[in-house]
Amino acid sequence: MLGSIYAMVAVALTLSIGVLRFLNFSIPGLFMIGGMATWASLRNAMPWPLAASAALIAGAVASLVVERFTWRWMRTAQHFVPLVSSMAFLLLFEHLAVIYWGSELRTLPAVFGTADWRVAGLVISLPQLAGLLCSIALIWALTLVLARTRLGRGLRTIAEDSDAALLLGVDINRIVPVVFLISGLFAALAGVIFALNYRQVHPFMGEAVGLKGISAMIVGGMGNVWGSIAGGLIIGLVEVMSIGYFGADFVDIAVYGLLLLILFIRPTGLFAGAFAGQARA
Amino acid sequence: MTTVGPILRLESVSKRFGGLRVIEDLSLTVRRGVRTALIGPNGAGKTTVFNLITGVFAIDAGRILLDGADITATPSRRRIGHGIARSFQNIRLMPHLSTLENVMVGQHCRNRGLGGVLQPVNLVPHNRWREAARAALADAGLIEYERSTVGSLPYGVQKHIELVRALMAQPRLLLLDEPAAGLNPVETEALQAQLEKICAAGGPTLLVVEHDMHFIGALCEDVIVLDFGRKIAEGSPEDIRQNPLVQETYLGAPAGELMERHSAARGA
Amino acid sequence: MSGYLEGVLVLLAVNVVFAYGGFLPLAAGQLNLGLAGFAAIGAYASAYLSNVAKLSPLIAIPFAGIVAGAVALIVAVPVLRTRGIYLALATFALGQIVQAIILNLEVVGGAAGYPVAAFIRLPTIAAAAAIVVVLVWLLFATRFGIAVTAVHDDEGAADLMGIDVRAFQIAAFALGSAIAGIGGGLYAHHFSFIEAQYFNISLSITIVLYVLLGGTQTVIGPLLGAAVFTLLPEVLRASAHWRYVAFAAALIVIMALRPEGVVTGAQLRRLLGSNRAESRHRAVAAGLPKGGAG
Repeated sequence: MLGSIYAMVAVALTLSIGVLRFLNFSIPGLFMIGGMATWASLRNAMPWPLAASAALIAGAVASLVVERFTWRWMRTAQHFVPLVSSMAFLLLFEHLAVIYWGSELRTLPAVFGTADWRVAGLVISLPQLAGLLCSIALIWALTLVLARTRLGRGLRTIAEDSDAALLLGVDINRIVPVVFLISGLFAALAGVIFALNYRQVHPFMGEAVGLKGISAMIVGGMGNVWGSIAGGLIIGLVEVMSIGYFGADFVDIAVYGLLLLILFIRPTGLFAGAFAGQARA
Repeated sequence: MTTVGPILRLESVSKRFGGLRVIEDLSLTVRRGVRTALIGPNGAGKTTVFNLITGVFAIDAGRILLDGADITATPSRRRIGHGIARSFQNIRLMPHLSTLENVMVGQHCRNRGLGGVLQPVNLVPHNRWREAARAALADAGLIEYERSTVGSLPYGVQKHIELVRALMAQPRLLLLDEPAAGLNPVETEALQAQLEKICAAGGPTLLVVEHDMHFIGALCEDVIVLDFGRKIAEGSPEDIRQNPLVQETYLGAPAGELMERHSAARGA
Repeated sequence: MSGYLEGVLVLLAVNVVFAYGGFLPLAAGQLNLGLAGFAAIGAYASAYLSNVAKLSPLIAIPFAGIVAGAVALIVAVPVLRTRGIYLALATFALGQIVQAIILNLEVVGGAAGYPVAAFIRLPTIAAAAAIVVVLVWLLFATRFGIAVTAVHDDEGAADLMGIDVRAFQIAAFALGSAIAGIGGGLYAHHFSFIEAQYFNISLSITIVLYVLLGGTQTVIGPLLGAAVFTLLPEVLRASAHWRYVAFAAALIVIMALRPEGVVTGAQLRRLLGSNRAESRHRAVAAGLPKGGAG
C-alpha cells in the first residue's frame, strides 16, 4: 500500500528534522535512486534480492555524499543553507538520472508473479502486503534502536538538546553520518519497494511520489517517528478516498490540501510529541 | 528641577513565564528629565522590565503609563512612535545594512505611512532624512563608518551606533541596556559626558540598566534597585549606597563608597 | 538575429523576471517554494485573457500579474502566520495545489496543455524585464528596502523600531508572486504553449537556487544569478540536463564556501565607494589587545 511507502519516506525526513533540525530535500531524490537502481539492476539480470541490495547501497552512498556537502561544511553558516543545498542535490540526482538512464518511464518485470490473496471479497496483492509488512517491521526496528541502543540514546539526546548532547559526551561527528545513512536507507528502500510493487520508475518519481512523504511527515508530526507512520497511512488513505469520491485527478489536491490545512491549523502535526514517540514533559 | 508629572510609571506590574514569576507587583516612577538607573543582581529582571516597557512581552497584571497615557495594550511596534526608544544588551544592529542605513531604521517610526515608506532615501542625492542621519553620525563622531558593514566594527563603535539609532526616533524616554558594558574607562567617561549632553533640558529622559557603579554614581540622579523582580530600594545614589538591604543583596561596601565619591564629586 | 539566439535571450529575460519574483520574499527572509505556482497563475490567466477575451498581451500580462499577486495576498495572511520551515512548506504545498488544479481545468486544456495564440517578441519581453528590474531597484532605494532588510535581519528589533513586520512580509510575498506571474505571462506568450507540468517544484527550486547564487543582499544579485544560470551553459554548450547538473553542483559548492552568494552588500559598497574607515579599523584592531577599541 502506498501509505507504507509514504511512511518510510516520512520516517527518513523526520529523522533528519528531529535530530539535525534539517529538512533534507534530497530524500525524494534518494527515493528515486532506490527505485531506478532497482530497475537498472534487474535489467542487468540480477536476481531481485541482489538488485534491491545494490539499490540500497546506491542510496546509502548518495546520502553520505549529501551529508559531506551539506551538513558537515555548513553547520555554522546560515540556517537555510543545508536546506538549499539539499534542494540542489535533488536537482543534481534527477538530472544525472536522466543523463544516465534517459527520461522515459521504465517498467520493471513482474518479479513476484501475480500472487494475489483473495479473502472475504477483497483482493490483496501479496507483494504489496509484503512491502507493507516489511516497512512496518523496519520502522518498528528503528524505534527499538532509538529506544534501546546507545546509538539510539545518542540520537534522542541530540534531538532534545544538541548542546547538552555535546556536554554529555555524545560524539556528534560520528553520529551525524549515521543519521544520513539511516534516512538514506529508508528513502532508498521505499523506492525499492515501490519499484518492485508498482513496477514503474522514472527519474522524476521523487517529485511525484517522494514529495508526498513530506505531507506524511508534517501530518504525523515533524520529528516524531511513530507519527510518520500514522501520517503515511493517513495520506495513503486520503489518496484512496479522493480517488473513490473525486477521481484520480484530484489526488494531489487532496494530499497537498491536507498538508496546507495542517500547516495552518496545527503545524506541529496530529501527533505532536517528542522524538521517537516519548512523552515530553 | 521642575517636573510636570512623571514620564514613565509602572503600576503593580507582574509578569510570569510559565510558573516562574519574573516580575512581581512592581511599581516604579521615572521623573521627567531625571536620569534614572535600574540596578540589581543578574536575574533580577532588569532587562525584562525593559522588555515590558517596550512591549516585547505583554504584562500579566498592572499598568504602564507613558507621560500619563496608558500604553499597556499598545502593540510593541507602536511604542517607539509614542516616544520610547531603546538599545539592547546584546547589540542588535542589522548586519545586512550599512551603518548609515541602520541609523535610518531609527527614523522609520516617523515615516510610517505609504508615502513615508516609499521615500527614495537611497536614490535622491540629498534626501533630507538621509542627510539628517548623516548629520547625527557626524555629531557622534562616527561619520567615517557610514558605509561600513556594522558587523566588522569595534564593539564600542557598534554600541554607539545603536545609541544614535535610538535617538533618531526623537524619543521622550530613552532606555539603554548596559551602555557601558565592554567599554574601557576612557570610553565610559566619554559616554557619560555624551549622555549628559543628550539628556539635558529638552532632550529625552534617560533610564539606564547598568552594573558599573562609578558610571551610575556620576551620571544618574535617581536609582531604582531590583531583586527577584521586586523593587527593594529607590533613591539617590548616596541613599542607595547607604541602604543596608541593597548592600547585602548587591553592592558590597567598597563599590558603594565609590558611588558616593563620584556623586559627591559631581555635586561639588 | 538568429532564432536560437533570440530564444536564449528571451529565456534570459523571463528568468530575470522570475529571479526578482524570488528575490522579493527572500529579501524579507521568506523562502517561497511555490513560485512556480504563481508563475502558472500568471501564465494561464494571461493566456486565457488573450485567447478568449482577445486582450492584447500587453494588457493581459500585467493584469495576470495582478491576479497572481491577489491570490498571494489572500493566502499570505494564513501562510505568513507560519514561520521559517513551515512557511517554506506551506508555499511548497501551495505550488503543488496550484499545479494540480490547473491540471484539472479543462477550460485551459488540463493535462494536454494550452496553446497561446498571441505572440510577443524579444524587444517586448526584454523591455518588460528591464521595467521589472528598474522598478524593483527603485523600490529598494526607498525606505521599503531598508525596512525589508531590517525584517530579514532581526524581526524583533525591527518591530521595536516601529516597522510593521507582518505588513512588509506580506507585501514582499505578494509583490514577488505578482512578478513571478508576469514572468509566467511573458513565457506563455512567446513559447506559444504552456502546460501545468512545466510549473512544478523543480522550477520553483531552480529559481530560488539561481537567486541565491547571485546573492540576495543586493538588487543586482538576482540579475547576475539568472544570467549565469541562463548564459553560462550556452557558452559552454552544455546539454539540457548537464546544465542542471553543473548548476546544482556549482550551487552546492557556493553554499559551502560563500553562502551569501556572488554579490554581497559589503562588496557592492566597496565597489561604489571606498570603505577607508573599515579597512583602517581592521588594521588597527588587529594590533590591539582584546577589549580595546580604535
